[in-house]
Amino acid sequence: MVDALIEAHGLTKSYGTFGALNGLELKVMPGEIYGLLGPNGAGKTTTLRITAGLTEPTKGSVAVSGFDATKDPLHAKALTGYVAEIPILYESLTPRALLDFEASVRGLANDSVNRRARQLAEAFEVTSFFDTPIATLSMGTKQKIAIIAALLHQPPALLLDEPLNSLDARSSRILKELLSLHVQRGGAVLFSTHVMEIAQRLCSRIGIIFGGKIVAEGDLDQLRARAGEKDATLEEVFMKLTNEASEVESIVRMLRESFFDDEDR
Amino acid sequence: MRTADAWRLSAIPYSEMAFRSILQNSSNMWWGSFGRGSAEVSGREDLVKRALRIARFDKFIITAFVVVATSAPFLPQTLGASYGISASVTLSLAVSFALIILYGVQTLSSFVTSGPSPVLSTLPLTRNEVSLVNLLSFVRTSDYLVVGSVVCQVFFVSIVTGSALSALFMLLAGAMNSVMGVGVALWLSSIFYRNILGSKQGRRAGVLRLAMLLAWGVVVLGIGVLFAAAGYLIPLVQSVLASPDALTGSILSLFYPFSLGISVGAVAHGFASSLIEWTALGATVGYLLVAVAVSRWSMSSVASFPEGASRITGSERTKDTSVSLHKPVTAYALKDLRAASANLPSAFLFALPAFETLVILLIRAFLPTLRASTLLVAMVLGGMFSLVLPLVLVSSEGTGFDFAKTMPLRMRTIVFSKALIATAVFLPAIAVVLTESLLKPFTSSFSILILLASILAVAAASLLEVRLFLGFAPSGRVTFALQEFGRMAAGAGVVLLPATIYAVAYIPTLNHALAAGAMVAVASAELLAISEFVRRS
Repeated sequence: MVDALIEAHGLTKSYGTFGALNGLELKVMPGEIYGLLGPNGAGKTTTLRITAGLTEPTKGSVAVSGFDATKDPLHAKALTGYVAEIPILYESLTPRALLDFEASVRGLANDSVNRRARQLAEAFEVTSFFDTPIATLSMGTKQKIAIIAALLHQPPALLLDEPLNSLDARSSRILKELLSLHVQRGGAVLFSTHVMEIAQRLCSRIGIIFGGKIVAEGDLDQLRARAGEKDATLEEVFMKLTNEASEVESIVRMLRESFFDDEDR
Repeated sequence: MRTADAWRLSAIPYSEMAFRSILQNSSNMWWGSFGRGSAEVSGREDLVKRALRIARFDKFIITAFVVVATSAPFLPQTLGASYGISASVTLSLAVSFALIILYGVQTLSSFVTSGPSPVLSTLPLTRNEVSLVNLLSFVRTSDYLVVGSVVCQVFFVSIVTGSALSALFMLLAGAMNSVMGVGVALWLSSIFYRNILGSKQGRRAGVLRLAMLLAWGVVVLGIGVLFAAAGYLIPLVQSVLASPDALTGSILSLFYPFSLGISVGAVAHGFASSLIEWTALGATVGYLLVAVAVSRWSMSSVASFPEGASRITGSERTKDTSVSLHKPVTAYALKDLRAASANLPSAFLFALPAFETLVILLIRAFLPTLRASTLLVAMVLGGMFSLVLPLVLVSSEGTGFDFAKTMPLRMRTIVFSKALIATAVFLPAIAVVLTESLLKPFTSSFSILILLASILAVAAASLLEVRLFLGFAPSGRVTFALQEFGRMAAGAGVVLLPATIYAVAYIPTLNHALAAGAMVAVASAELLAISEFVRRS
C-alpha cells in the first residue's frame, strides 16, 4: 500500500476563542492534486501554514513523507515547497539574492539549481527582473518569484495557497502544466482555492473544508453522490454540502428587493 | 474643499503612511519583540499589530525625545554658566535638524514609494484637493516635532537672554532649520527609495547606495557623539566663537547652523559687533533664501505625488539567472547584509566599524603608551557598540522571516550568522589597535590578550543576545521595551564580566599576565557555554 505524502490527524488550531481548525483529517497521496475548497475563514490557509511549519497546531499532527511537521520540522520543510496567498519574500532583496539564499540554505547542487532557475525564470518570464528589488515588482511578478522559490528544490510535496490569484493567463497555464508534471513524477500537491472552476479542472480530489473540518472529500462524482445532486456543478455541490444554498438564496432575494425598491423611489 | 476639512481628512492618509513606513522599515520596531510569539500566530500578523501600535504612539515619543534633546544644550546657561548662547543655539539647531531628518526619512519612505494614499486618487476629488490633502499629510509627519523643538528653543533663548528680539530671531532660525530638515529628509528618501532602491541594482547604484549608507551612518552616530560630548563641546565651540579675531570662528560663521547660532547670540547682546557676527548675519540671510527654496521644492514635490509613485523597474534588462551558492551560515549573513543595506534606518551598521575605531582611538589618542587600563575601557566601550547589532539584525527580518521559516533551517544557523556579523563589525577596531601598537608599545606585552578576550566576549554576547531575541515570547505589550533592554543588558553583562575579572585579578596581585590570562579564560568559558546553549536550542 502506498503511503500518503501529506497526512494530518486531528489537526486543531485555536486563536483565543476562535477555532480555525477543529480536528481536521486529511491524506494526500503521491500523484494527487488535492484541492482544499472552502469559504473565507474555513481554515484552508491555517492547514497549509501548519503543514509548511509556519504555525504550530494547538492539537493534532501533520506529517510530510512520514516526518512530523512539528516534531521534525527540518525534514518536513526539506520535502515541501510553500507558496502563500500573499507572497512572503524578503522584499528588499532581488530575486537573484533571494534564490542565492534559498539554494544555499537548502544545500542544492550548483549545476541543477542554475539550470532549474533559468528554466523556471524563462517559463514565467521573470528573467529581466532578476536584479530588481522584489519590493518594486508587481504582485503577479512577486507571485511568480514565490512559485519559482517553492519549485527550485523539486520538493515532493507542494503547498499552494491560492497560487493562481495574481497570475496572468499564460502563467496560470504554465503553473497548471507544471503541477501536472509534478504529480506525474510521483509528487503531491495540496492546493487551496475558493474558485470552483479551478478546483473542478485541476484537482484529482477535492476536500470541502468548512468550520475547520473536512466535511466531504472525493472526486466530483463522489461529491455529487454525497450531496445527492446528480449532474450538479461543483458550486452547487459545495453550496449544498456547506448548507449555504438557502442562506445565499435569501440574501440574493433581499438584495433584489432592496435594489428594486431604490429604483421605485 | 475647505482647508479645515482637508486637514481633518489628511489624518487618515498620514496614519496609513506612518503605519506602512514602520511596517516597511521593521528594523525600527525596537520596542516590539520578535520571539516565538510571532511564530505562534502569523509573523505578518504580529508585525502588523506592532506597526499599528507604534504608528499610534511613535510621533509622541519621538517628540518628547526631541524636546529633551533640543533643550539639553541650554542647560549650562540655565544653571548659571556665564558664557554666551551662540554655541548652545548652534548645537540645539544641529540636534533638532538631525532628528527631524532621522524621523522624516523613516516616515517618508512609503510617501515617496507609493504616495500618501493611492485610495485618495480613486475618490471624487479634484487634483488640487488631492494635492492639498497630500501636502497636509506631509505636514503631519513632523508637525509635533517641529513645534516642540522650536517652542523649546524660543523658550530657552528668551529665558537666558531676556531679549524679545533674540527670541523672535530664534523663532525664525528654528523655522528655517525645520523647513530645511524636512526638505532634506524628503530629498534623501526620494534618492534612496525611489532612485536607488527602486532601480536596477547595477554597480553604480551599489556604489551610490554604499556611499549614502556610510554618510547616513555618520549622521546617526554623530548625533550620539553630540549628546555624549555636549558638556565638552559647548564651552569649546563657545570659546572659538567668542574670539573675534579667530580665523576658525570666521570660517565657522559661514557654515550652517553656526551662522544661525552666532546671529542669535549677536542679536541677544545688541547687534553685530565683530566680523564673525556680521559674516554670520550675512550667511543667515543666504540660508533664509535657501530655506524658502527648499520649502517651495518640498511643496511642489509633495503636490506631484497625487497619482502615487509609479512602480519602478529596471530599464536595463538582464538575461542572466545564475545563482551563487554558499554555506548556510554565510548565506544567511549575506542575506542579512543585503537586507540591511536596502534599509536606511538600519544602515548605521555599515558605519559602525569606523565609528567604533574612532572612539577607541580617541580614548587613548594623547597617551604615549598603550596602557592596559585604557585598552580595557576602550575595548569594553567598542564591544558595547557591537551589541546594538543583534537587535537591528533580528528586527530587520521583517515580514520576510516567514520565508526563512519555510526552509529547513536550524535556529542555531540563524543565531550564528547574525553573531558572525556583530563580531565582524568589532574586528576593524581590533586591527587598528594592533596597528597602533606598532607605533605605541603596550605597557605589558600580555595586554594583547585583552584584545583576544574582547573578541571572544563580543562573540559570546552577540550569540546570547540573538538567541534571546529570537527565542522567547513577549509577555505583554507594556513590557516590550523593558524586555528588549533586558536582553541587551544580558549581552552587556557578558562583555563586562571578563573585564571585571581582569580588574579583580590585577588589583591585589599587580600581575598583568595573571589578569589577562584570567580574562581570556573567562571570555573563552562564556563563548563555549553560550555556543553550547545555542547549539542545543
